[in-house]
Amino acid sequence: MEQLIIVVAVLPLISALLIQLFAGSLGRSTARLSVAITTLSFILSALLLTWALTGQGPQTLQLGNSSAILLFDPLGTLLATIILGISLIVHLYSVRYMAEEAAYGQFFVLLDLMTAALLFMVIAGDLITLVIAWYLVGVLLYFLLGQDTRSQTAYRFAFWTLITYRIGDLPLILAAALLYNAYDTWSLTVIFNQIIANPHAHQFLGFSLTDVVAALIGLAAFARSAQFLLHTWLPYTMDGPTPVSALMHAGIVNAGGFLINRFAPVFVNSGDVLNMIFIVGLVTAIFGSLLMLTQNDIKKALGYSTMGQMGFMIMECGIGAFSLAIYHMFAHGVFKGTMFLSAGGVINSARHNDGIPKDELYTFAVEKQPNKARKPWLLMAAITLLVPLVILIFAHLLIAEDYFQKQGAVILLFFGWVTGAQLIFATYRMRTQNIWRMVGLSVLSLVIVVLGYVFISHAFDLFLYPDAAFRAQLYTAASIDILHFDVLVVVTTLIIVSGWAVTYYSEHSGYRRRQKSKHLWLNFYALISREFYISDIYTRLTRTLLVISGKLNVWLRWL
Amino acid sequence: MTEPMIILLAGIFLPLFPMSMVFNAVLDNITQPWLRAILFITWPLCGLFVVFYSGVAIPGWVVTLALATSTLYALRMLTLREVNQWNGFLATSLWSLLWLAIMHDTPEMLLYGYALSMTVPLVLLVILSAGLEHRFGAAYTGLYGGLARTIPRFSGILVTVIVAAIATPLFPTFFIMFDMVVETIAVMPLAAIALLLIWLLWSWAGALLIQGLIVGRASKAKVADIDIPTIGLYSTVLLALAIAGIYMSRVIL
Repeated sequence: MEQLIIVVAVLPLISALLIQLFAGSLGRSTARLSVAITTLSFILSALLLTWALTGQGPQTLQLGNSSAILLFDPLGTLLATIILGISLIVHLYSVRYMAEEAAYGQFFVLLDLMTAALLFMVIAGDLITLVIAWYLVGVLLYFLLGQDTRSQTAYRFAFWTLITYRIGDLPLILAAALLYNAYDTWSLTVIFNQIIANPHAHQFLGFSLTDVVAALIGLAAFARSAQFLLHTWLPYTMDGPTPVSALMHAGIVNAGGFLINRFAPVFVNSGDVLNMIFIVGLVTAIFGSLLMLTQNDIKKALGYSTMGQMGFMIMECGIGAFSLAIYHMFAHGVFKGTMFLSAGGVINSARHNDGIPKDELYTFAVEKQPNKARKPWLLMAAITLLVPLVILIFAHLLIAEDYFQKQGAVILLFFGWVTGAQLIFATYRMRTQNIWRMVGLSVLSLVIVVLGYVFISHAFDLFLYPDAAFRAQLYTAASIDILHFDVLVVVTTLIIVSGWAVTYYSEHSGYRRRQKSKHLWLNFYALISREFYISDIYTRLTRTLLVISGKLNVWLRWL
Repeated sequence: MTEPMIILLAGIFLPLFPMSMVFNAVLDNITQPWLRAILFITWPLCGLFVVFYSGVAIPGWVVTLALATSTLYALRMLTLREVNQWNGFLATSLWSLLWLAIMHDTPEMLLYGYALSMTVPLVLLVILSAGLEHRFGAAYTGLYGGLARTIPRFSGILVTVIVAAIATPLFPTFFIMFDMVVETIAVMPLAAIALLLIWLLWSWAGALLIQGLIVGRASKAKVADIDIPTIGLYSTVLLALAIAGIYMSRVIL
């Protein structure tokens, strides 16, 4: 049964080959062939996932006579099913969406090759297969984004993506080389077993090899998942076809989270690197969300939204909640994929009919008929702060009583509390006539979301990391000194609550600002609207490099 | 012949700056595609022959110079627009790295294999470049563009050949580069990082070359695309190259 994982990964390759060979005679039927094979592959992967859910595996498999090793394990089978599910939807969508394109067959070849590369990436059992698949994803994405060969803009931004991905390839290759030199094998299972047995057996340049490898893997993940300073490609790659955007935002960009999960046995022994990953994820989440809110281009706003989400995903890894990152990538993938694929249809139908029933709920939620009188703010503040906290604590206690002893869990709870409180705070600011109804709806949705997230993430935890001791180790590795942690939580809480107080005060006083703060605010807005000048700096650096290259050619007379 | 003289001579064929300029000067003066192809195939083999026949001991500074040469030419590729010149610079950047493989005591026959498998995509590019010159009068990026629409079959092959030349999986150069990084990282970490940066520059230059040729609106002038048998021939060579790459990965990694 486990051997089926090889069939699952090879099927999209066969599809690509068949389309390439028979594109001329098959004509537009190429799409049907591609869809049929992807469907078959998806069904098989779903079967394998069911098999894995019964507790089968993990197992390593040899790919034919080659030296490539594939893994049948919970992480690989789960992600293979998710990838094939998203790929199948993208295939189905593309059948008609891409019908007018000149390179229709070629698009499906690239799509199938991309699906195969992603599958090999998640089920790779050796470093060579992993590096090859990782590398090829970047190359194939470049060509998929540049599907419209008439568009210089599409290629310009596809190029940004390629270069960022190539930058991300380099640390992974270095990590693979270091691991091979130390352990004399390419097999991930063998390497991980040796690392677990003796985590700090090897040194590199005076540092523990495990830490160096973890840092390199982290860097590779940052480039792939658009973390701060390596993010500029993501908001700008909207000139590619919509199905490619959907595939990219729903699947490819999540690869960073996968890679960190794959190397969990390395990270469990590299607490400092996990802390660094948390900081990078946090900064990315803040910058991504900030830039998303200030965009006037909806596509760029979506791009920055993905960046923010990737920040959260990486941050979850940084606190030791590895399986939660996988759940996040799945949930975000489905959400963002749906947004991209349905955007065109929604816009089209909205042109004819906005489709919103003008009923009581609409006037209540959308028209926000303001109420002159407000409820006492102290009461609302208490509700704002306490209700989400109670819901979160109650939901988490349902799954584990010792949950709050883990720092990572407290951080997650903290973010959940901030989000929930923000929701109720925003509700209060809406000044609707029936504030209690609005608060009730907010709390109800919060309860559903929190309970759903808690139970599903717990299920992911048990499936991906069945060893409770290993799960605890991950959280422990990500922990910091308790005093520092407490100070950090208190300071962050104070900052956020002060922010709410300032917002309340400024709204209460009619947004009157002093001249000095106005000026500061304008400068800050200019900085955000230029996206912190990061793209401009990169463009300047690129131009400088090209000038140097050109001058060298002139000096050396083009020889 | 003294050892420094042998190194100098070998540095012409396995390019070491400034001797590397000799190859590019020779290439610049050859107009016949078949002569260019022969030059590409024989040049690095001559270098390896000189090194192995003389049995010269390679001094340590050669590796530094070889890496500097490779970086220099990879960097200079970024602003090249003439396909033949680009091809010559890539060859220079690739072949100079053979010094590293020599220093790692790679078996002689395997090194000849390295040189040949690195060169095959370059030879294909020589032929394709001649095809461009025949059709448009010049093989130049940004001059006509839009090849993907004008001659789609030719473009497909051209893109695959460029991708193979810049060390993309599953072609042999990828595995050679991977092996060099593996061999270098433990003894010379900075050299391994330099290797990766050179690799990155190739990708950069390759993407610019592809964009300069295939992107844009279709040409109004009628230009003949390559026929199906020729496509078959190119595909067979590229497939053989990929198989050789996979085989090589089993031997060297």
